[in-house]
Amino acid sequence: MDNKNVSIQFKNCTKKFYLQEDKTFKEFLPNLILGKSWAKELIALNDISFEIKQGETVGIVGKNGAGKSTLLRLIAGVTSPTKGEVRVEGKVAPLIELGAGFHHELSGYENIFLNAAILGMHKKEIELVLDKIIEFSELEDFIHIPVKRYSSGMYMRLAFAIAVHVDAPILLIDEVLAVGDAAFQKKCLDRLKEFKKQGDKIIIFISHSEQSVKNFCERVILLDHGKMLDEGSPAEVFEKYHHILTQKT
Amino acid sequence: MIKRFLLPFLYYKFLLSQLILREIKARYKQSIMGYAWIIFSPLIQLLIYSFVFSIIFRFPTGDIPYSIFLLAGLLPWIYFQTTLSTTALVLVDNSNLIKKVYFPREVLPYSVILAKAVDLFFAALVLVAFMIFYQIPFHLTVLLLIPLFLIQVALMTGISFFISTANLFYRDIQYVVNLFLFMWMFLTPVVYPLSLVPDKYIWLYKLNPMVGIIEGYRSALFNFSFDSGTILWSALISFLIFIVGFIFFKKSEKIFADIV
Repeated sequence: MDNKNVSIQFKNCTKKFYLQEDKTFKEFLPNLILGKSWAKELIALNDISFEIKQGETVGIVGKNGAGKSTLLRLIAGVTSPTKGEVRVEGKVAPLIELGAGFHHELSGYENIFLNAAILGMHKKEIELVLDKIIEFSELEDFIHIPVKRYSSGMYMRLAFAIAVHVDAPILLIDEVLAVGDAAFQKKCLDRLKEFKKQGDKIIIFISHSEQSVKNFCERVILLDHGKMLDEGSPAEVFEKYHHILTQKT
Repeated sequence: MIKRFLLPFLYYKFLLSQLILREIKARYKQSIMGYAWIIFSPLIQLLIYSFVFSIIFRFPTGDIPYSIFLLAGLLPWIYFQTTLSTTALVLVDNSNLIKKVYFPREVLPYSVILAKAVDLFFAALVLVAFMIFYQIPFHLTVLLLIPLFLIQVALMTGISFFISTANLFYRDIQYVVNLFLFMWMFLTPVVYPLSLVPDKYIWLYKLNPMVGIIEGYRSALFNFSFDSGTILWSALISFLIFIVGFIFFKKSEKIFADIV
């Protein structure tokens, strides 16, 4: 067993959700008595197996509802598979839906500490990168006012600045590069490329933008209706992806 | 299991402290009186109850003025009530975090319980001021407030584990909790003395674990004799609820992200 390395492993992993249709007790009770199933089963991921090694940058593509976000949640450890096994070695920093931990009444400065703590950082680690976070966010003049006064661009800039300063070996990025103006987007991408250069991180990248996936990832996984259709080089996988997109729309 | 229990206080202690700060700081932002509400709000309740129960009903509270007798029970009760009605919502309110980031989920109810304990501490200064004003002597028995407080925290934490989880499944729980707390207050000697409870029902009445705790606080503060049997029962029930609650919470935790 090789535990020193950072790695992600999925073995025949299936994730089912139970969609509850009967929201109220009035509807729920008769169904229970009649023995009707109280929930509809939805297979979000179906028998997925893959392995990602240290230093890899992997893109995940697929249509809406293909299971991409469920895959990220399994890696982040917030949910567990219905069947099969997920093994993740190393701390995970989810850059998904930034600013989830922000409190609107608190200042940007206070929110840096709060959000970084939620992402798993300790006090000393945060103090070390505090200046860098503020500089990266370009919010020096506004850092002590409540974030509810921020524009949505400022909000996202702060959130992204915190997320990219978390020192975690596994980064999950879900459609977050649509942040701020073009200049800031470039800055974010540069920062991620810097991570990539370090060579010891795993970066998982979800995007609908073919260009950025091709630019950024050396390997792509294609999901469709919870199944893993293909895995390989971006050019190859995108060819197949276009094929299924035209086949059934 | 013990290691799992300690994790939030060791590895996640910075997260816990940040969540406590968020709870405390955010609550009174954009309000004129700010943190003064912590003291002001029990004072107003004190005035109302004092008027009703010492002027109209005239409850017998012995040598201790009614206002002090009341505060000794009301302050821990307010702590109990506000904590439970807030923890019922704590997982639902933080559902976006639960869906995105992993951390031991019990950190969320803990942050509420500890933040409200800070409120209790400041509110207790009012009681101290009243005791000095009425020249009620402090006895060494006040040290026993600490173990009694720990029993109360264990009980609240245990209940929080159940209601916060249940509220994720059905939001009805938050309303049930508030009604239940309203009823519970009148089944606990908060605004009236225990001596008014009919002898016939006293054994039944004392099954409520808050009876031993609230009466214990009064015994410790005013050097009354301790009803150790009732307190022991409270301690036993409280720690049992805590342990069962913890196991239940850790088991359910895995599916939180799927159901919120």
